[in-house]
Amino acid sequence: MGRRFWDYGKRYWPAYAVGFAFLLLTNGLALAIPWLLRDAVHRLERRAPLREVALVAVGIVLVAVLQAFVRTHSRLRILGASRRVVYDIRNGLFDHLLRLDATFYDRQRTGDIMSRAVNDLGLLQSVYGPGVMNLLNTSIAYTAALALLLHLDAVLTAVALAVYPPLWFAVNRLSRRVYAHSLAVQEQLGVLSNRAQENLAGHQQVKAYVQETHEVEAFQGLCAEFRRRSLALARTRGAMLAAIGIATGAATLVVLLVGGRHVIEGRMTLGDFVAFQAYLALLAWPTIALGWIVNVFQRGAGAMRRVLEILEAEPAVPPPAPGETHAILDGDIEIRGLTFGYPVRDGEPPRPVLQDVHLRIRRGERVALVGPVGSGKSTLVNLLARVYPVPPGTIFVGGQDIARVPVSWVRRSIGYVPQEAFLFSRTIRENVTFRDPGANEDEVARAIRLAHLAADLEGFPRGLETVIGERGITLSGGQRQRATLARAVVGDPPILVLDDSLSAVDADTERAILEALERERGGRTCIVVSHRLSTLRHVDRIVVLDRGRLVEQGTHEELLARGGVYARLFERQRLEERLEAR
Amino acid sequence: MRRPETAFAPDEEIRGRAYDARLLRRLWAYVRPYRGLLAWSLVLLLGVSAAQLVQPYLVKVAIDAHITPRRLEGLGRLAVLFLAALAAEFVLRFAQLYVLEKTGQNVVYDLRTAVFAHLQRLPASYFDRHPVGRLMSRVTSDIDALNEAFTSGLVLILADLLKLAGIVAILLWMDWRLALVTLAVAPPMVGVTWYFGGQVRRAYRRVRAMVGRLNGFLQETVSGMRLVQMCSRESWARDAFREVNRQHRDASLQSVFYDSVFSAVVEMLGSVSVAAIVWAGGARILRGSISFGTLVAFFDYAEKFFRPLQEFSQRYATMQAAMASAERIFQLLDVEPEIVARPGAYRPARPPRGEIVFEGVTFGYEPGVPVLQDVSFRIRPGERVGVVGWTGSGKTTLIRLLIRLYDVWDGRILLDGVDVREYDLAALRRSVGVVFQDTFLFAGTVHYNLTLGDERVTRERVERALEVTGAEAFVRRLPGQLQSEVRERGGNFSTGEKQLLVFARALAFDPPVLALDEATSSVDPLTEARMQQALRALLAGRTSLVIAHRLATVRDADRILVLHHGRLREQGTHRELLRLESGIYRTLYTLQQAARGA
Repeated sequence: MGRRFWDYGKRYWPAYAVGFAFLLLTNGLALAIPWLLRDAVHRLERRAPLREVALVAVGIVLVAVLQAFVRTHSRLRILGASRRVVYDIRNGLFDHLLRLDATFYDRQRTGDIMSRAVNDLGLLQSVYGPGVMNLLNTSIAYTAALALLLHLDAVLTAVALAVYPPLWFAVNRLSRRVYAHSLAVQEQLGVLSNRAQENLAGHQQVKAYVQETHEVEAFQGLCAEFRRRSLALARTRGAMLAAIGIATGAATLVVLLVGGRHVIEGRMTLGDFVAFQAYLALLAWPTIALGWIVNVFQRGAGAMRRVLEILEAEPAVPPPAPGETHAILDGDIEIRGLTFGYPVRDGEPPRPVLQDVHLRIRRGERVALVGPVGSGKSTLVNLLARVYPVPPGTIFVGGQDIARVPVSWVRRSIGYVPQEAFLFSRTIRENVTFRDPGANEDEVARAIRLAHLAADLEGFPRGLETVIGERGITLSGGQRQRATLARAVVGDPPILVLDDSLSAVDADTERAILEALERERGGRTCIVVSHRLSTLRHVDRIVVLDRGRLVEQGTHEELLARGGVYARLFERQRLEERLEAR
Repeated sequence: MRRPETAFAPDEEIRGRAYDARLLRRLWAYVRPYRGLLAWSLVLLLGVSAAQLVQPYLVKVAIDAHITPRRLEGLGRLAVLFLAALAAEFVLRFAQLYVLEKTGQNVVYDLRTAVFAHLQRLPASYFDRHPVGRLMSRVTSDIDALNEAFTSGLVLILADLLKLAGIVAILLWMDWRLALVTLAVAPPMVGVTWYFGGQVRRAYRRVRAMVGRLNGFLQETVSGMRLVQMCSRESWARDAFREVNRQHRDASLQSVFYDSVFSAVVEMLGSVSVAAIVWAGGARILRGSISFGTLVAFFDYAEKFFRPLQEFSQRYATMQAAMASAERIFQLLDVEPEIVARPGAYRPARPPRGEIVFEGVTFGYEPGVPVLQDVSFRIRPGERVGVVGWTGSGKTTLIRLLIRLYDVWDGRILLDGVDVREYDLAALRRSVGVVFQDTFLFAGTVHYNLTLGDERVTRERVERALEVTGAEAFVRRLPGQLQSEVRERGGNFSTGEKQLLVFARALAFDPPVLALDEATSSVDPLTEARMQQALRALLAGRTSLVIAHRLATVRDADRILVLHHGRLREQGTHRELLRLESGIYRTLYTLQQAARGA
């Protein structure tokens, strides 16, 4: 683990080295001020002329100014390095997230990834910044102050420091309890939030069953528990503060008693006595900080482990490598004996979602994939874009086995319109040209026309430059879907895949869009997954999947005449549409 | 179900003022019940300050009366006094902090439950306009900010001011000339704190804004990762992320800069004050005007004087955040519940017979978009009525209006001849048993979910209900049986189990009117058969309005209402409706038959 911390931090070793040097200097200067004070008292005791005392005062100011400069720079170096290290790790994490494939994202929830990228990196920043700084500071302060104290009065030092081991022990124990209590408070806050969330989400049911009072009472119970835990935390925290205060106070008291006697007996000068107290005070903070430092490093190690879990996950689909050649494949597709199941947990064999599928789609052909829910349609088109690892020798695009060519070749050749119309909170133009940011105005206009978006754009304040999600501007489901369609056709890919992606668009518009696609298709191969069969009349061929197998294929008329799965689906939808129209 | 953006208050943008008399007055109403505790906290605070400020003075006496004249006797007594002051300081501080925390926690408890209780009274339409996530932050983060302000804001500012005044008084009393020299550093200190404190706050605000953008980008890109990969835009995403990350890093470096300079300058000024004391104090010692003890005490007091000045900036920011939160909380508390029972609302003396009349009902969720239009029908007591219609025809809305989750735009709804708006809300909702489409169990026990805390629902009724609905079998298998825990929303039960429990609940309550929205979620055929059986038991002998998604459910209803595009288009028995050539019901029926075939 230490090795991993070093790996990320080592680039900035000069900053850390300079920071460390400055820290040494800062501490030296911090120790110089009590020394100067001691000197001033000595001079006053000797009844030296004021000029000499004033000189010391000037000395203190000079030291203070120098210290301010040095301290600022030690913090800037070390804390600055920590921000840069975390910046690097965050970049590395994001780069790796870009390489991971659907197999990873199906398992890992976004919230979990976010928590690692936000909370855990925050903990790492504490290690690289204040953690390292305080560790160095504490070690330096301890060594130096201890040396000076021993130099001033060895016996007094031994007596005064007798307080510290029990203090350290007590603080350590108490701070662990404070941590446990604060976790308990956080946990209860989580319970309370969940409860409120459930209640607000189910407000209709709460009202219908007249459960308002009961819900308020239950919530009050949780709040009362939260209050109890918060107060327990306050008690422990208070006890810790009191322990620290009393222990450091006790040390002062011991110095006053024993040291006072030493001064009276003439074994110690008054100046030494004043300086001794000042150095002792310097030890109090590092002693308390020690517990905190241990905690930061422990939690940092846990954070590093969680971050590494992502960084060490390997994609099953090899990600695009920088500098690899680009190619656009021809729109000719052949699927040979494809059997596929989603990877599941270790030990269980994958349940096949597709079984022995053979399909040939010629360049420029328009094919519809239909079938009941769960028949494997989406899986098939996902595999075509190699979202999941494709078994070698099963899918060929433009004559190339897609499992053996760079993944970007396949993806650049396919314009894919997913089921879920995902758009970025950017301008509509940026979204539409997402596949091909270099697209010219004509191409964009053509895509907009094709997706029937022109009229919608006129309704937006800034047309194509409208930022989605800004100032409450939201797109309807249908508008979103049509925008994703426009995005897929920009750049004119040889293959276009529509994965049930016009479900929120009304049937007439869908038909019009499909007809426009037909007119403008050129040599483009088109695969349409749809539940709305009536819009599929123009396709060259309809392929019917059922429970992972290819069961029928042919033209609309042929399949109707067969009276199979397709014919039944079609009859049902015809009735539905007639009903809707009334 | 969204209204234009104006419906959302731009509430995240409120930037509080640190002091707002109007808000403080309103907050005071919540603090008032605990003013005794608060007063105690203030008294203890006085004690803490006194105990704290007496210590340097004791050290001074020790030096002047014992150490300098080398007189040992009496030093022990002084040491005991010092220890007592020390112990008093920490014990009192502990007590003070605890009492303050207790006050704060009590206030927060009251405020949080008040906000929650207020949310319970807001009408359903309010929830359509305000996302749950945003309401959640009223109950959580805004309340936390207030608590923070309470425990480390206002009272501590007061404590600091008190301490500062005390120190100034003591310094002036010991030696006013030296005091003036020492305090000469205070104005630049205040100036520095003001300037750098402001810079630090602004820098942190920028960092927070950047964190928001960074997390927003990350969240969005991770959600859209498939798209990024599918479009081969990895390098764009990488660059864009680098840019946001870089901006975040730069903002954070800037905050480190101001933070470092601020703390270093403050420390420097502290040392400068020490130097000033050495110079001026030295001169006064040499002239014999003050003692060594006084000099040492000045060092101590000066240190105690400057610390609160440094912390003031942080406290200011805390207060600012708290005032913004208070503003949002009170905005929410000021929302009037639209649907409330009038004073002297109608409370039926005995359970209603169960006659339901819809008269020309028109209603919609958004202005100008009616979901129901001029719907009229009458259900006789004891009649079993089914409602069918295509998705979006407004079926579920009928139930929501009947129990007055929403008020009609036009027309009226009568239960036993009385307008539902005349009813006491609780009385109305208790008279109508409702089974929603998505089954909802309350956190608690199984038993609680069947009785909902109503004592009239006896143990026998619960058991009979379980038996009749067939839920008995699985409840018996539960480890704690009726006392088994139900987690939030019934997360530890299967869909079928939840539905059976909800049916059993409705039966146990034995309401004169039952409104049921059939669940569309699919369950296995065995459970399905059990559900149908339970449903028959439930409907027997009461007025019922059943929204059916499967026509088989209402096939033997006394009457079937057919809704289409928000209007009542056909009604009659199953047979009558099937006879209507090219009728809507007939089409729906054929469709479902076809679906079964496919």
